[in-house]
Amino acid sequence: MTDKTVEEQLMALLSKSLDAGTALSPQTNLVGDLGLESIQVIEYLCEVEDHFDLAIDEGKLADVQTIADLACVIKNLQRS
Amino acid sequence: MGLLDKFDAARQTRDTLCALPLNPTDVVIDEVVSATEAMIHGRHTIMAGTNNYLGLTFDSEAIAAGQAALAACGTGTTGSRMANGTYRDHLNLEAELAAFFDTPYAMVFSTGYAANLGSLAALLAPGDPVLLDSEAHASLFDGCRLSGADIFRFKHNDADSLASRLRRLGERASSALIVAEGLYSIRGDCAPLAEFAAVKREFGAVLLVDEAHSLGLYGAHGRGLVEQEGVEADTDFIVGTFSKSLGSIGGFCVSKHPELALFRYASRPYIFTASPCPSVIATTRVALRQLSTRPELRDKVWANAHHLYGALAALGLELGPHVSPVVGISFRERETAFGCWQGLFNAGVYTNLILPPAAPDGGSLIRCSVTAAHSTAQIDAIIAAFDGVCRELRVGRYAAR
Repeated sequence: MTDKTVEEQLMALLSKSLDAGTALSPQTNLVGDLGLESIQVIEYLCEVEDHFDLAIDEGKLADVQTIADLACVIKNLQRS
Repeated sequence: MGLLDKFDAARQTRDTLCALPLNPTDVVIDEVVSATEAMIHGRHTIMAGTNNYLGLTFDSEAIAAGQAALAACGTGTTGSRMANGTYRDHLNLEAELAAFFDTPYAMVFSTGYAANLGSLAALLAPGDPVLLDSEAHASLFDGCRLSGADIFRFKHNDADSLASRLRRLGERASSALIVAEGLYSIRGDCAPLAEFAAVKREFGAVLLVDEAHSLGLYGAHGRGLVEQEGVEADTDFIVGTFSKSLGSIGGFCVSKHPELALFRYASRPYIFTASPCPSVIATTRVALRQLSTRPELRDKVWANAHHLYGALAALGLELGPHVSPVVGISFRERETAFGCWQGLFNAGVYTNLILPPAAPDGGSLIRCSVTAAHSTAQIDAIIAAFDGVCRELRVGRYAAR
């Protein structure tokens, strides 16, 4: 699975809970750009975990700000 | 960036709220008239936004016991039980809690927040897996974080989501702690504890339930949702608070596990906090006795809950999925929620306005709660206020079609 594929999947999952037409890119900041509330981020991460069949410890997300950051975490978990 | 610059965001939030005609986070209660009434801004107001579910804050026996304890033992303990001694009544309350919950072990904390922080910080160590409901109270999250455990969120009240996360943990699942609440305090929805208990059994995990808002409301003895759902044998730890149905302040943890007695040697929030003051222990003991011996209080609060929930549903408002003494009303627009909240306030009904990020779904809510002390006439007055506000703002059944 390429980097782009993971990022595209993350953006597709995210777009489900956003207004139609919201522009997303790997550099989109989940909180700063989209204004997601913390509970919305948690719900999104639950969807991400189910989609990739991964368990993501919240401690691994401390430095995650963008979709690309989250993609890195997922790829690391997929490798481990 | 200076140390204090981080407060710019909080300052902006405060300034935005202060610019409103009425700041919902800064309502000053000038005079408490009774368990259900107060004077606010010079107006006689019905309190429909408390956690005083059994209406015991003005119980005459509790007040007398508190006054006697003040006179006999003074205003405070001035220190922690580990360093400065345990008062006899701390032990008496712990024994009474153990008897009430029919568990061998009980431990008292100085606040409900401290009970959650202290129990989880003692129970979990760095690297332990903990499965936490996505809408769990901040004190549960903070306790998990303080412990250094690996935190995995599952979808709110979703046993399948819980099970799938435990499955992904593999062998670690058998050492995992599952953390959920009984009654959730904003929308008034209940956890599917029987389903969670089945998942717990399947994976050999440990289950902790926070009954902060469900104590005194559910179960044949009023122990909480764990009792009502018949999962007492599967529940390893129950935490809760004295500041809601028991009308005082403090918290507790009860358990069948002897290790609970060792929490006091391992829980920093317990070790380094002053113990509950004698008057608080005294009023809590009386309130617990009232909860145990007066099931009519439970009957009354539930009658009020059904009355209010049914009337607000008939008004076409968007309510939580379960009837409970907590009635959460969701609004799609923050401005509508604020308008309704202020309209109710102006009509002499105090409710709670819940704005993001506190609202569970990122939206806005008005939280309304009833107590055993509300009269039917007061519930009718609350309903009439809602009807007037909905009519004025064209909300619910009065919305333009």
